[in-house]
Amino acid sequence: MGYVTSIAGGFKTLVTGLGVTVKELFKKPVTLQYPHEKPELSPAYRSLIKLIRFDELGTHDCVACMQCVNICPSYCIKIEGGKVEGIKRKRATLFEVDFALCSVCGLCIDTCPTTTLEYSRLYDEAGYDRNWTYDLLAEYRDYEPEFREKQREVEAKEAAEREAKKEAAAKAKAAAEAKKKAAEKTPEKGDGDKKGGDA
Amino acid sequence: MPTTLLDHLHPILAVLIAISGIMAALSLNVMFCIYAERKVSAWIQRRMGPMEVGPHGVMQVIADMVKLLTKQLITPKGVDKWIFHLAPVVVFAPVVAAASLMPFSSGVLISDFDIGLVLVFMFGGFAVIGIFMAGWGSNNKYALLGAMRSVAQNISYEIPLILSALSIVLMVGAMGRGMEIDGQAVKITGTNLAHITLVQAKTDIWFVVYQPIAALIFFIATLAETNRTPFDIPEAESELVAGFHTEYSGMRFAIFFFAEFSNMFIGSMVATVLFFGGWDGPLLPGPVWFFLKTYALVFVMMWIRWTYPRLRFDQLMTFCWSVLIPLSILNLLVTALVIKLV
Repeated sequence: MGYVTSIAGGFKTLVTGLGVTVKELFKKPVTLQYPHEKPELSPAYRSLIKLIRFDELGTHDCVACMQCVNICPSYCIKIEGGKVEGIKRKRATLFEVDFALCSVCGLCIDTCPTTTLEYSRLYDEAGYDRNWTYDLLAEYRDYEPEFREKQREVEAKEAAEREAKKEAAAKAKAAAEAKKKAAEKTPEKGDGDKKGGDA
Repeated sequence: MPTTLLDHLHPILAVLIAISGIMAALSLNVMFCIYAERKVSAWIQRRMGPMEVGPHGVMQVIADMVKLLTKQLITPKGVDKWIFHLAPVVVFAPVVAAASLMPFSSGVLISDFDIGLVLVFMFGGFAVIGIFMAGWGSNNKYALLGAMRSVAQNISYEIPLILSALSIVLMVGAMGRGMEIDGQAVKITGTNLAHITLVQAKTDIWFVVYQPIAALIFFIATLAETNRTPFDIPEAESELVAGFHTEYSGMRFAIFFFAEFSNMFIGSMVATVLFFGGWDGPLLPGPVWFFLKTYALVFVMMWIRWTYPRLRFDQLMTFCWSVLIPLSILNLLVTALVIKLV
């Protein structure tokens, strides 16, 4: 009897197995046709750093302070920069990251005083030699002269305003002093004025 | 009697036309089957399968063919040259011969033999010789092991295959006695593939209804004969690299592949003729029904392949000798008894 039941039982499991696969046959494939379809990235996804563009500046705000260079444990950031004629703040003229070295630790992002660094959303990058460097300033090159021009204007304006304020303040001060002096010189008149005021 | 298509031509011309026609048809069929296999396996595993070459990857098989054709034919050191080079031909030739025996529709057949079924099994048995030649000639232990397994398996499974087909032959012989077609008495032969279909078409009942156990045994044995999963032990990749065709490259390998897929197709065609009424069916013309049924069976073979794991060798042999052969003998005896009594 075991012979027959084992055949029947085996046959039943085989049919069950066929049922499982035929159900899968009509389900939608889960394949992502990668180069044609792009994956949806997790919000927590982190990749190579990039410079944030600020709307009020029209460009990045890297001041070449070298804090990220100093804190980077992988020595993968290279920055050059300095004073720009007519602008108070320093500007970076070169910002390169070697992604072959970068461990995406994010210390540079945490340390940035102008908060102009963040993670990019790159995910399908590939390096073709040992110097796999990214020029983070590449997309900002075109904006830089414009920014500098604007910044100069802004700073000139601010300086002029400051100058004007200073002048005004000086004038006011001078006027006040003059008044004071005048008051000291003619105390009677001042009394008389006071009297008049009282009346 | 149904006359064959090529009776009106010069014999040599007829043979040439038939062979090239069969080869072309088989090639197209194999290309379709490979594409279908890849798609079915992909869908069962919730993938997409080939998608890049042509729309939905339909040109993928052609690309593969071109690749195989342009590949170098490597002949390893120490092979038995004659046997090594002949093996693909010996595997492939019987496939063409067997395909020429199929009755695609009433009167649409290339060669009409009263012993058609016997010939099909004979050609099926030929493939074993080719496989063993490939394994023996390759001078490779994996190839030899694969070939030995293949021979043991194919010889074992031929027994239930033929026994289950024999019960159909008995039934056809009994039911076809005194059968008339268009008012003419026809002498029905049980082993004539066209006659087997004729009897089913005449009685409007397919033999799968009378002989479900024989149909099942026949199908399982066909799977084993064509070396398909779960009986693909001769090619078990995890143990034998690729089995008997380990040392074959390029188009020689492709011919083995071709023969394997064609064998699957021929096995399905024979099963269609024996158990599913061949060309018999309403509305649609005969050949359409014939190929619909055949491809349905081919699909079931693929479905089975991507469902079950591979059997162990002793399981394979035990299953054949202690389940399939006793069952098919029992089935044959009962069939004979019923025919005698009714």
